[in-house]
Amino acid sequence: MGDETQMRILVAEDDSETAAFVAKGLRELGHQPVTAENGEDALHLAITEQLDVIVLDRMLPKLDGLSVLKRMRAAEIGTPVLLLTALGQIENRVEGLEAGADDYLVKPFAFSELAARINALIRRGQANSIETQFQVSGIVLDLLKREVRRGNEVILLQPREFRLLEELMRNADRVVTRTMLLERVWDYHFDPQTNIVETHMSRLRSKLNEGFESDAIETVRGVGYRMRGDA
Amino acid sequence: MRNPLNSAAYRIAFVYSAAFSIAVLILGILVYLFAHAAFVGQHETRITEVSRELVASYHDEGVGELREMIAARDSLASASDLRYALFDSSGRRIAGLLDIVRPQLGWQDIIFTDEEGEADPARAFSTDLGNGFRLVIASDSDTVEQIDQTILTLFLAGFALILLFGFIGALALGGYLRRRIGRLGDTAEAIISGDMDQRMPVGPRNDEFDQLSRTLNAMLDRIAALLDNLRQVSGDVAHDLRTPLARLRNRLEGALGEPENSGAQRDAIEAAIEQSDEVLGIFAAILRISEIEGRAHQAFSKIDLSDLAVELCESYALAAEDSGRHFSSTIASNIVIDGDRQLLAQAISNILDNALHHTPIGTDIIFRLESEGDQAKLTVTDNGPGVPQEARETITKRFIRLEASRTTPRHGLGLNLVSAIAAMHNAQLKFADHNPGLTVTIVFRTEPHTRND
Repeated sequence: MGDETQMRILVAEDDSETAAFVAKGLRELGHQPVTAENGEDALHLAITEQLDVIVLDRMLPKLDGLSVLKRMRAAEIGTPVLLLTALGQIENRVEGLEAGADDYLVKPFAFSELAARINALIRRGQANSIETQFQVSGIVLDLLKREVRRGNEVILLQPREFRLLEELMRNADRVVTRTMLLERVWDYHFDPQTNIVETHMSRLRSKLNEGFESDAIETVRGVGYRMRGDA
Repeated sequence: MRNPLNSAAYRIAFVYSAAFSIAVLILGILVYLFAHAAFVGQHETRITEVSRELVASYHDEGVGELREMIAARDSLASASDLRYALFDSSGRRIAGLLDIVRPQLGWQDIIFTDEEGEADPARAFSTDLGNGFRLVIASDSDTVEQIDQTILTLFLAGFALILLFGFIGALALGGYLRRRIGRLGDTAEAIISGDMDQRMPVGPRNDEFDQLSRTLNAMLDRIAALLDNLRQVSGDVAHDLRTPLARLRNRLEGALGEPENSGAQRDAIEAAIEQSDEVLGIFAAILRISEIEGRAHQAFSKIDLSDLAVELCESYALAAEDSGRHFSSTIASNIVIDGDRQLLAQAISNILDNALHHTPIGTDIIFRLESEGDQAKLTVTDNGPGVPQEARETITKRFIRLEASRTTPRHGLGLNLVSAIAAMHNAQLKFADHNPGLTVTIVFRTEPHTRND
């Protein structure tokens, strides 16, 4: 998932092995990770450094992640924050989002999931205006008309399929994971054992591709899906 | 046996009995003092009256007559009666048997010599008659002393009895309290030393101790249930994680044996990652279940169960068809319950997951949501192989995975989670035979008024 621009990403994580694993992965993607082992350092870096995304663990020594987040937001630092939370705390998500997090991820996670979410956050930070129309590789999705076109043809989609496509197009050129789709399209914050994302995706795909040579949606094996912009 | 002085039961009993004794003692002293004063007062009144009488007769009839009157009174008198003495101006006793020297005027305590020649205390009043004559009338203190003595003896005997009864009573009361508290203590000791089946004794009277026992027993039941749960979880965790962890280890070891950078090594590592995801999934499920079981209902809100069901069925219908099962649903509209949307969605999706994963291709799966009075009945029926009667009882227990499904890579916590979520929503979860197949039913209590829109 090679990404164009180099981003400065703060990784605030007290477990040095996890931090090193994340930093190494981000470096391989061409980003520039900065690490902090405790909340005080994280807050200091968040306020003084020019950062694109902050990956913030909830449990940090000296100052916990939520406090870092609240103080940072109080200091009017709007850098997108991805909050890492531990297993088995349902309330954490709501609490984190209320404190000003932009996304959350439950530990342990696959690195590809983290990378996809970081990319989505960077995009979100950049897209300031509210878009009502998306256009990716010949497919046009109009939010106001609730209409999808490929070339000159209008493609009829079920509401769920429409939402799936919208999510992919909002994140064009970026991988959207299965979990992200479950959260954003279905609002399910658990992991069903049945491949409901896959089945909807294949339905969407066949509708989009009918009569066309190229597959509009690319499957990234073991990670998720991506729509390529005009290459 | 501990020192009774350190026992609160004895201390309370003894303090109570001591306080009672002190009250009785004070009462006794007051009775004694007032009785004494009353008797002395009585004697003095009598002396005063006689004295007035004799003084009057002296003034009327002279000293001769007075001497005769005294002699007459003395001759009639008994030991308990008044005694007299009349002194002339030279201090010589000229009448009366009261054997004393001429005393001062007014009230005084004197010692006189009685008929047996012994010294005897008395209360005396002397008055001057004029012409140097002085009349003394005395009352032997013996009678007052005797009465005092009697009162004192009676009181002391009574007080001794009260002390004795108080002591015995305090011992009995203290012992009783100690015994009842001791029984609670003994039971607690037994529980501490590991016998969780012990319960506090509950008597038939339902007094404070019985009520306390009952409360403690309820607490013990709760603790025992939690302990059982914990014991089962840790046992199951150990049992069920051993297999996937061992498999994980074997796969990694196998990967090491494969030629480096070969496709086979890659496959083995991918399989190992999958295996570790399964282990993590088990942990996640265990944590989620224990979280749900220990969670309060505050996060509840009004949920349109019909909407949720429609949405889930729509999502699952495709997956069911794609996997070769026939899925159909009948959903009554506007069924509203109090609940947590995420958890309800998870519970229903777990049931649907089971219906899809534990049935052969070609199975019919029917989802139904209907309203029955103030209940909402959600059923998922399949005509697959079903679940044997004896297994239906344990199906919601942790880590229960029927032998038939051991091969599927799932951790068997799904229905346990459903059960925990149902319990949290005060809903009943039932499993029934569908001949062939299985019917899973959750009965929710609906809101009395449904939404109108």
